[in-house]
Amino acid sequence: MTTDGNLRTSLNNVVVVEVGDQMGDYAALLLAGLGAEVIKLEPPEGSPSRSIGPFASPTPDREQSVFFWRYNLNKKSVILDVDNPAASGALGRILGKADILLMAGEYPTVARRLERCRSIAGGNRGLITCAITPFGLDGPYRELKATDLTQMALGGIMAVCGYDPDKDNNYDTPPIAPAMWHSYHIGGEYAAISMMAALNFRDVTGEGQLIDVSVHEAVNTCTEIAIPTYIYNGETVLRQTARHAMPAVTQMRLSVSADNVYMLASLSPFEREERAFVQLLDQIGMEHVLGSPEYAELEKQDRRAALTYRNDLIEQAVASLSAEEIFRRAQPLGLAWSPVRRPEENLEDRHFAARGSFAEIYHGELGRSLRYPGTVATDGQAPHMHYNRRAPRLGEHTEAVLEWAGVTRDEIASMRRHGVV
Amino acid sequence: MANQTKSTPRALEGVRIIDLTWLQVGPQATRILASFGAQVIRVEWRKRGAIDFLRYFAPFAPNHATADGGRAQGAVHSSGMRGNYDRGAYFNNTNPGKYGITLNLNHPKGRDLLRRMVREANALCENFSPGQMDKWGLGCEELRKLNPKLIYMQTTGMGKAGVYDNYVSYGPTAQAFSGLTFLSGLPEPYQPAGWGYSYLDHSPGYFGAMLMMAALRRQRAEGVGAYIDMSQAETGLMLTGTSILEYQLTGKKTTRYGNRMPYRDWAPHGAFRCAGEDNWIAISIQSDAQWQALAEEMGSPAWAREGKFGSAAGRKQHEDELEAKLTEFTVQSDRYDLMNRLQARGIAAGVVQKAADRFDRDPQLKARGYFVDLPHSEIGTWPIEGFPAKLAASPAYVGGLTGRAAPKLGEDNEFVYHEIFGLSREELAALREEDVI
Repeated sequence: MTTDGNLRTSLNNVVVVEVGDQMGDYAALLLAGLGAEVIKLEPPEGSPSRSIGPFASPTPDREQSVFFWRYNLNKKSVILDVDNPAASGALGRILGKADILLMAGEYPTVARRLERCRSIAGGNRGLITCAITPFGLDGPYRELKATDLTQMALGGIMAVCGYDPDKDNNYDTPPIAPAMWHSYHIGGEYAAISMMAALNFRDVTGEGQLIDVSVHEAVNTCTEIAIPTYIYNGETVLRQTARHAMPAVTQMRLSVSADNVYMLASLSPFEREERAFVQLLDQIGMEHVLGSPEYAELEKQDRRAALTYRNDLIEQAVASLSAEEIFRRAQPLGLAWSPVRRPEENLEDRHFAARGSFAEIYHGELGRSLRYPGTVATDGQAPHMHYNRRAPRLGEHTEAVLEWAGVTRDEIASMRRHGVV
Repeated sequence: MANQTKSTPRALEGVRIIDLTWLQVGPQATRILASFGAQVIRVEWRKRGAIDFLRYFAPFAPNHATADGGRAQGAVHSSGMRGNYDRGAYFNNTNPGKYGITLNLNHPKGRDLLRRMVREANALCENFSPGQMDKWGLGCEELRKLNPKLIYMQTTGMGKAGVYDNYVSYGPTAQAFSGLTFLSGLPEPYQPAGWGYSYLDHSPGYFGAMLMMAALRRQRAEGVGAYIDMSQAETGLMLTGTSILEYQLTGKKTTRYGNRMPYRDWAPHGAFRCAGEDNWIAISIQSDAQWQALAEEMGSPAWAREGKFGSAAGRKQHEDELEAKLTEFTVQSDRYDLMNRLQARGIAAGVVQKAADRFDRDPQLKARGYFVDLPHSEIGTWPIEGFPAKLAASPAYVGGLTGRAAPKLGEDNEFVYHEIFGLSREELAALREEDVI
């Protein structure tokens, strides 16, 4: 496959200035992976995301936040307190050379900074300003307090994730937020999309613009049939263990393998999948009546009993082999089955190795490299996204960036005296 | 700020995309591109085995819904109408703003017609099973001989490059494989809870839109195309957060933590039952001051004043007991009233909203115009989920260029083949006769 269109350098001439908290880290990371120069302006105590664990050190340390490492690859760190009036001159010069200003945080903070940056950067008509806030820059909820968890609740994802109800459809387990940070992932992806759209628009018109990303709305886009089921049918979907929330409880999809690993194994309502399953059963020598007149009669008389029989066979088949063995046998037959892997088990997977899915990043302070998930696509030969620098230490690039922006050494010294840098 | 209206200018003005995607992951990307003004031409075939599953998968529009009606005629359950593929509700929500044509790619003339369209397109998107386009002689290499600037985006479960190139996957498969399923749920011995929908049919769609727009910029500036081999499973890796790094640093296997905050002493941090049927509120306490405010809201009960709950570390250490005690309070409370009272005290609290709550009640979504009414040519006008960001100068509009929800099967054959690609009406009639379109 040709490689002329690899996208890892597609934003090479784009300068992104990032200010704010963890809601913006991921969006800027995505742009950095496409070659953008991301300059993170941090207060003297460091960005809020430096205080989020886990930490590589025994106790919290702003240089040891693994969260910060993961979401800030390829970026530069500049200590510049954007809220300090003494920083205005330097900030103005940086924004004068920027293509995108990305701001993330609670509404009052972002609104105040937006106002300030607008007055400072007024001369840069091509500047794209992207504000990521929990609920958007307007509306009655804009000042509500939020965390990742409460965004997943209000946005609707928690209501469709969790465990099966009892036979009367009552729940004794809570709705589940499927691990941390997905509201920021979804919000960040939509922010990146929006910035990319704005760059396309600017390429043609020369005009920048303001983008107002609502994490609340972003999460809302991501619940699949829950909204249409209600809007069209007036029905509420029920959350169910490891399968789609539906108006009625469906058959279980998790089975346990011989080596005690959960396996996602089920059959879609396509005949080809049932045929493939029969092949799998025959391969492993398991007796069954699928495909026989006897089974056809059962399906006709009692569909539920037929499904239960088929599901029992799936459970028995999975229980007879290791998860990886089942995976290797089922997939070539066309069965979309998979072991429920821990994330780290993919570090050694030969498919991801062949695709270059992990970026090896050297951490000088650790004296070793760590492997980061680093792309979602390839051009057939190489990943479209590229990460090669660990997250910056606080202020690691302050002088270099300020000098690039045209701030003199005397000015830097003066700002340092005022505690701005 | 203007948003969600059929307005100009558009970020992707003049961009034409041949959309061979189906189900969710591919159409999600082209939905976004259509929202920014790309001319997205959705190519389908009308034989049952080739029809998009979402066209005949529940939920469906009510049987009474007509072209001049819609939501105003009322919402009620429907099992669909046999042989009618234009009443799928989720299909309608997934494919607004696109033109819809039928084209038989098993017919040589159908493939020729696709080649003709590709010559005049910026991009082609598909998410067939791996290798299907190559079998038709319509793979990336072949099509780029016709149009060297073409951007070809292919989305598969595992990705075309690599050793699992012929493996099959739906969103949940990729979620299980990548680690997302494992991470979700209560700590063992509970099973993984996974995701109640195909997250990896959504997120790769978002990435697809992002990468496509990166490629379009380059195409405009440098005149080059691109081949984008998207992998749902690889996207899942990107979303496993810090787990993979933590493992490399500590050697400890990943564990689940339910709704709790594993990385800070935030407690309580979870979903708590409220009055009513399956009603819950998420509460996230991040400081001692917030805890004090919550305690006051509860009427400062004696248990909340106990020393073990006085510090963040103490609350974290006794989180089981803390959650049980807090539930005794929340279970007596109306969920929205409690959310408002806690928010007034500066506490991050949010109702676990169901679809009805979001659609009927959420004042923020209403104020921001999140749901957009769009007409469909058979089932009438229905609210469609909008784009979650407002762009001041080139707003997204989920109705795209068509100003319509999803197309009926082959609805735009005449417009696309005749008006856009210049086929004569006689040619169209002949192609129809030959079962090509």
